[in-house]
Amino acid sequence: MIDASSLMSEPAGFEAIIVEMVRALAHSAHAKQPDVPADSGSADLEDVRLAGRGDGDAYRRLVERHQDHVGRILWRFSRDRRVHEELVQDVFVESYLSLSHYRGKAPFERWLARIATRVGYRYWKQKARRRRTEPFDIQEWDKATDGDSVLEALEPDQAAEMLHRVFEQLAPRDRLVLTLRYLEQCDVVETAQRTGWTKTMVKVQTMRARNRLRKLLEHTGMESIR
Amino acid sequence: MNWEQKIEQLAARARDESPPCVDVTCRVLGLLQAGQVQPLTVTERLWMWLAAVSSVIAVPAAAAAFILYTRSAGPLNQIAEAISWAIQ
Repeated sequence: MIDASSLMSEPAGFEAIIVEMVRALAHSAHAKQPDVPADSGSADLEDVRLAGRGDGDAYRRLVERHQDHVGRILWRFSRDRRVHEELVQDVFVESYLSLSHYRGKAPFERWLARIATRVGYRYWKQKARRRRTEPFDIQEWDKATDGDSVLEALEPDQAAEMLHRVFEQLAPRDRLVLTLRYLEQCDVVETAQRTGWTKTMVKVQTMRARNRLRKLLEHTGMESIR
Repeated sequence: MNWEQKIEQLAARARDESPPCVDVTCRVLGLLQAGQVQPLTVTERLWMWLAAVSSVIAVPAAAAAFILYTRSAGPLNQIAEAISWAIQ
């Protein structure tokens, strides 16, 4: 004879097992991403929702949480501290204005990275129109890149400065794709997302930019192609 | 080491750089609270679209008008020349 109470209790036990399994899966998923705080995504979403309703404190939290990340991206676009700060500010103003377009499908940080790239690229285009490019010292390049040991001895900020000045000699479009590919280590998909270009365009643009960089180094006598 | 390897090595070194700390929280919130930055209203968006559409229409219309004018100006010039010749 089947006990009615055991029939009632069995589904509850089964549900508990399912719940435990889901919890274990969720825990292991978080454990695989040690750099991402477990609740940062949900906190961002909640703050975006509140900021969209005009909550200033929620937007303050978003700015405080992400300004270092945005600052890191934009440091590739301008090494002038004053300009850099203005660009970071522009990113957060633009992101506030288009907050209603954020659907939460991608992490907020990635969405901000796209805006930061757009703001930085716009700054380069404006600068190129004004033709304000710092002259490049060829001797300095030769000296800095003459042999492995010399390159390794360079301080990170010296290397970044040198690369910034080399890329500065190129058109903004070339400079953008090379910065994303070499410095940010973005693959084709990520570069396409950051720039808003198609994947084919990214591939073509990368090839053209690399050729122009090679020609620039050849033309200026900075490097001989082997 | 070729040029690309040098660039890659420089980039690898450059990635270790620590960018300067920025704190734009007060400035951003100050700008937003001062009302200097406001998202476009529905009316403004409507005007913006209207301006864009009218400029898209205006350019081909101007080109068509120019072509029509140059086509019709030829016979008119001939008539004017004939009249001035007859007067003389």
